[in-house]
Amino acid sequence: MRNQIEFEVYGNYALFTDPLTKIGGEKFSLQIPTYQALKGIVESIYWKPTIIWYIDEVRVMNPIQTESKGIRPIEYSGGNTLAYYTYLKSPRYQVRAHFEFNPHRKDLIHDRNEHKHHNIAKRSVQAGGRRDIFLGTRECQAYVEACKYGEGEGDYDDIPEINFGVMVHGINYPDETGRNQLETRLWRAKMEYGKIDFIRPEECRMVRKTGEGIAKPFGNGNVQAVDQLYTELFGEEE
Amino acid sequence: MTWLANLHKTYEQHSQVIGQFEKKKNGREYALIPVSHTTQSAHIEVNVNSNGDFISAKVIDKSEGSTIIPCTEASASRTSAPVPHALFDKLVYVAGDFEAYCGEVKGTPYVDYMNQLSSWCESPSAHPKVNSVREYLAKGTLMTDLIDAHILWKDEYGQLLDKWNTATEALYGEKPGIFKVIPSDQSTAFVRFAVMIPGDPEPRLWRDTTVQNSFIQFNEMNMKEQELCYITGEYLPYADKHVSRIRNSGDKSKLISANDTSGFTFRGRFRTSREAAAVSYDVSQKAHNALKWLIERQGIPIDSKVFLVWGIDQLDIPAPFADTFTLYNDDEDEMVEAQSVGDRTHKEFANQIKRAIGGYRYDGDYKSDVIIMTLDAATPGRMSIVYYRDMNKELFLNRLENWHLTCVWLHRYRKDGDKYIQFTGAPATRDIAFAAYGPQAGDKLIKSLMERMLPSIIDGRPIPRDIVRSAVHRASSPVSMDHWEWEKTLSITCALVNKMYEKERFAVSLDINNSNRDYLFGRMLAIADVLERKALGKEEKRATNAVRYMNAFAQHPARTWNIIQSNLQPYQARSGTRDGFIIHCTRLLDKVGSQLQPKDYTDISLSGVYLLGYYSQRNDLYTSKADKELNDESEEKMNEQGENN
Repeated sequence: MRNQIEFEVYGNYALFTDPLTKIGGEKFSLQIPTYQALKGIVESIYWKPTIIWYIDEVRVMNPIQTESKGIRPIEYSGGNTLAYYTYLKSPRYQVRAHFEFNPHRKDLIHDRNEHKHHNIAKRSVQAGGRRDIFLGTRECQAYVEACKYGEGEGDYDDIPEINFGVMVHGINYPDETGRNQLETRLWRAKMEYGKIDFIRPEECRMVRKTGEGIAKPFGNGNVQAVDQLYTELFGEEE
Repeated sequence: MTWLANLHKTYEQHSQVIGQFEKKKNGREYALIPVSHTTQSAHIEVNVNSNGDFISAKVIDKSEGSTIIPCTEASASRTSAPVPHALFDKLVYVAGDFEAYCGEVKGTPYVDYMNQLSSWCESPSAHPKVNSVREYLAKGTLMTDLIDAHILWKDEYGQLLDKWNTATEALYGEKPGIFKVIPSDQSTAFVRFAVMIPGDPEPRLWRDTTVQNSFIQFNEMNMKEQELCYITGEYLPYADKHVSRIRNSGDKSKLISANDTSGFTFRGRFRTSREAAAVSYDVSQKAHNALKWLIERQGIPIDSKVFLVWGIDQLDIPAPFADTFTLYNDDEDEMVEAQSVGDRTHKEFANQIKRAIGGYRYDGDYKSDVIIMTLDAATPGRMSIVYYRDMNKELFLNRLENWHLTCVWLHRYRKDGDKYIQFTGAPATRDIAFAAYGPQAGDKLIKSLMERMLPSIIDGRPIPRDIVRSAVHRASSPVSMDHWEWEKTLSITCALVNKMYEKERFAVSLDINNSNRDYLFGRMLAIADVLERKALGKEEKRATNAVRYMNAFAQHPARTWNIIQSNLQPYQARSGTRDGFIIHCTRLLDKVGSQLQPKDYTDISLSGVYLLGYYSQRNDLYTSKADKELNDESEEKMNEQGENN
């Protein structure tokens, strides 16, 4: 696919919190990453408001195993408390993603240089991402490596189908939908021969409004053109 | 699927048993509870007729108290605030004359209760028998009737009696039943109703499915708010509160709780818990009720943890924590055969395991799933799923089979009545904990070990090294424990070590060609042990030198062997050349010793493998002794011949 990147992401633990267990405080991980979690990883590799990343596919490489840990989360009313968080153990995924220009970002139309963004993205994958990577939650530090998607043996390669039922797909933010509200998307996830084929966010039929918000505008006030920065830094030397 | 979806599916798969009580071995009853219902133990049963007249009442025996009661979302999770249940409840709610006997109460529980009951009776889903109960309770004479029927007791001031003591005993005679079933105050008694109608087979309202369905409908009508359900993906009536008392009746912790507005568990992105996640009432009720039922039925509670394994279609699944012997016994046909399991060939043993596990394989359910789930609560109030695994059933059974085939040794610690049973197979996880940590191991230690062993059993991962090391260490200190305990520790440790060195395929039967250093040292120790034991005779109970020095031997084999051997000499000398067995042992010792490479005869400490050599050699010497005794005469003759020459 056009503007695609492929990479492998792995870590010791992952916590893609099941929202049902989140409201009570004893976090429990979903069996597989959500679309949004992977999107977050790709955005940590490289992102600009000009583009929107789309996750095409993910391959689950290691067996899905859980392990719990006693955690002392901060009690905001004072002190701390004990909770058992349940993590996925040694997760490893191969991800395939591509970007498209954000149609709701008319303010950044001048930045729509496909070749530039794709090359930066590819270089960022080689470098292991621009920002630090984590799987689901911040304490689950992860690492990105460039890979050839589909290479190597996955634990579920021979299993025709595993159904995960209804799962969170992701969250719709105002700047990507053009609507001034926050929405949560659900979808029916299934894994075939170790691969999960994600549907696109706008294909999700189960969407509910979960809050309000507006897109942040970008303009002269908060964006600096690269040529201008270049002059500032090196202009005098020339 | 997600855990809640799997539980929901389990409920739907077993809807034919909803509301049916089953009895556990300890006499406790449990049932798959219908939606909008919960269980509570009732103390008093009141019979009325269809006109709403009091007929009789009785105190319910503790073992029969378990009652399925209709409840609303609010009443199911009531704490201190008075929220009435729909039909059966405590005296304070159902008795109109409560205040006359017990003084004033907070709020208006009776009025609230009657209002709720009336709206049920006036709704389209009303039930005539429930109406009879309403008519009776509207009279407000329940307490008076119960006192007249000698169910409740009042004191000299006309108030309800607080306590039954010696003074009241002198007044009224023997302690009445109500004080036997209620530990505290009579006024906390829980009441259930039966409506007697001539010709009606089921007067007990709590067992009447038509009453249950009538309430389910009524309750559904009251729920107006719909929300996108995160499990079914459909817009359905929304559950604001979820079921508690999951692990046991005293457990108030919830898997899904929604009252956290200060801990910042979801806030930041969402303002209310409903924005963060939503589950429909129906799914929440069904899934939680299924979970409670499964825990009652087949959960293993240890400390605060509950281990649960079930098949979605066929609930019964061989427990991964049980030993191989239990596995045989699950299958009743195998039971008789299992007694004789012991010194059989590995192939026969493997077949037996395959058959026992095969008993759980059903035609056509190869696509079915097995769920392994462990629950625990770190703090009261919030429960956590600390382990969750959703596995294909075939895969699960294959992995379990492999566990029983590879973590194997010959055990003699199981008792069937008074008799010790010998079986070959894998030890139970709980016994592994005792082997590794000693008999004083607390439940906290056991539960964490059980959780850590799970990946080894169901994923075929290596057993955590520290567990094996700890077991080997304990098995090497026979003098620190009773003989039976050491034997048990030894055979379990051998099973663990065997699993650890799975590739090398050690077997219980002695491998005389194995030239592994540790194995040979182990064999030498066994021969020394058996030799001395024999020389000491049956009366002498003291430990042999081999056993006494075992720990040191494991650390410094070469140095310690010199000590053991020099201590052996007197016995060898004393028995002289007459005792064929001792001569046999002495010769064997030389033979084994010669197999040991000179470069291996060092003080480098021994690995757990030496225990395998020890066990196998000892077992060989003891079991073949019977055969040997048969041949003893001929052997002695040969020896005599040898002397003559």
